[in-house]
Amino acid sequence: MSLGDDFVEDDEMNMSDEDGAASDSEAESLSDSDNEITEKLTEPTKTAVYNRDGLLDKLQDISWPEDVEWTHKLTVEIDQGQEAVDVNDDLAREMAFYTQALEGTRQVFGKLQEMGLPFLRPADYYAEMVKSDTHMEKVKSKLLYEKKQMEETEERRKARDNKKMAKEVQSQKMKERAKQKKDEIESVKKWRKQRQKSGFSEKGAGELDLEFGNGKSFQRGGGGGGGKKRPGVSPGDRSGGKGKSASRMNNKKREFRDSKFGHGGRKGLSKQNTAETTNDFKGGFRGSKAGGSNKRQKR
Amino acid sequence: MGRKRKHSEAEAAAPVKDDTAPERPKRTLLGWKDKKEDVEEAKEASVSVPEFRNKEKVLVTCSRRISYRYRHLMLNIVSLLPHCKKDSKVEAKSSKGATLNELVELKGSSSCLFFECRKHKDLYMWMVKSPSGPSVKFLVNAVHTMEELKLTGNHLKGSRPLLTFSSNFDKDVHWKLLKEMLTQVFGIPKEHRKSKPYHDHVFAFSIVDDHIWFRNYQISVPHNEADRVARGGLDKMTLVEVGPRFCLNPIKIFGGSFGGPTLYENPFYVSPNQIRALEKRSKAGKFAKKIKAKTRRKMHELSNLLEPDEFADMWKDDE
Repeated sequence: MSLGDDFVEDDEMNMSDEDGAASDSEAESLSDSDNEITEKLTEPTKTAVYNRDGLLDKLQDISWPEDVEWTHKLTVEIDQGQEAVDVNDDLAREMAFYTQALEGTRQVFGKLQEMGLPFLRPADYYAEMVKSDTHMEKVKSKLLYEKKQMEETEERRKARDNKKMAKEVQSQKMKERAKQKKDEIESVKKWRKQRQKSGFSEKGAGELDLEFGNGKSFQRGGGGGGGKKRPGVSPGDRSGGKGKSASRMNNKKREFRDSKFGHGGRKGLSKQNTAETTNDFKGGFRGSKAGGSNKRQKR
Repeated sequence: MGRKRKHSEAEAAAPVKDDTAPERPKRTLLGWKDKKEDVEEAKEASVSVPEFRNKEKVLVTCSRRISYRYRHLMLNIVSLLPHCKKDSKVEAKSSKGATLNELVELKGSSSCLFFECRKHKDLYMWMVKSPSGPSVKFLVNAVHTMEELKLTGNHLKGSRPLLTFSSNFDKDVHWKLLKEMLTQVFGIPKEHRKSKPYHDHVFAFSIVDDHIWFRNYQISVPHNEADRVARGGLDKMTLVEVGPRFCLNPIKIFGGSFGGPTLYENPFYVSPNQIRALEKRSKAGKFAKKIKAKTRRKMHELSNLLEPDEFADMWKDDE
């Protein structure tokens, strides 16, 4: 139904011309009349009546009296400007209607404000609306759905871009690391060669003017090969480091043994001082619970 | 019901009674009007023209066998116009002019919107001013009802709309007549009992390509008080479409209601039946055209013989 019907009219005009050229008598006669119909108003009254006087008379009949207040009519005429809007261009057409209505409303509001009449609905004025609340709920849910779709596509696009970026960055990092590793190995080899050349003389660290990068790389023990095997332990820790956290493999075995032989804890810490016990000169066993907590705190 | 009568009686009585007895205060939507003012007005009114009161009543009906989309359009229009009265379906074939005129007289309405659906496909709308007024027959296209979820606006039911017309309504006489009729039918009377105060929606009638396009927008303006817009608020005004939407193609204007002498005929109008017929006819000739094309080709070939092909015998000897 929609716009298709409307514009088939125009297409039909063209079609009828072509038909008139090519084929049957029927089509020809029809197209002839069509051609006549498309010509405007220079027609005899038979085909297109235009009784201007009659129309004016009727207009006078039905019009309201001239001095009627404008507030009865509430009409306003908007000048459309010179450009004729193309009917087929939906967006332009709707824009034209929108601007017409907007301009009209502005003018009317100006007038009403001058007249001092209330025209805007207060926020607490509740009355029956032309669309029911359930309908507005549906509208709202549809709008939210559309917004969500848009956001999701945005996010997906961003995630894809980020992934690409991240991949690039990661590959960069890997290359760098490999390069560094190679460099370090090279440097160690060079140093060894140098020492060999100079006959293992104990000249001291001053001779070592080789680049080892920063001390950090050395700490790692030659990069990756001798990596930290005990991550929970800082280098200066003599106590033996943290016990294994409970959520490791062999959890069941551990649990069973714990239940059988008691909880365990760190080895050999019972005779070392903590912050609290440093200043206790009397010392001694203050009760089992205190001792237990002592051990636990020495982690 | 009773209240309605009282109100109209008081109104009718006021200008007639002159200044003899002070009448009860006129009740308007905005409160009770002061007695003194009322008496003064009555005095003035009795001296000059009686105060104008818009007593428009519209009767809205449809024919039988109307399809759901057009029925929803009619219901939307009924909800937009509180001064209308919806009536039951009208039997189609009988001399519809006479029956409808009677119906309009019976209901005491001053105009009528009659929706006629033909072949379950085309919707024609008659807009008629009752006693002896002109009537217009439109073909309705491009119908979008208020139920469509893309039309998100909403407004008070029965609030008076602002009517905006494009300037080309003043260009020609028949457009002027249509404009007047549209104003009277679609404009809600000022103190109608079912109308609501405040203007929160606007109708836009525009003529594009010799069709009248109708749009209904909700006005949303940030504001605090009811009778003044915040400074710069007019710039922040937005319109949200409420619907319905339709496009009217005027076919004929008659001098009487539902008939009478033809005052205007649209020279560009082609009935949808004719359009469909022409389409079918163009498709129907396909086979005949093919046969003709074949014979033409044959004739052409016979008349312009090809030169003998020098390579035609190339592979013959290879067997």
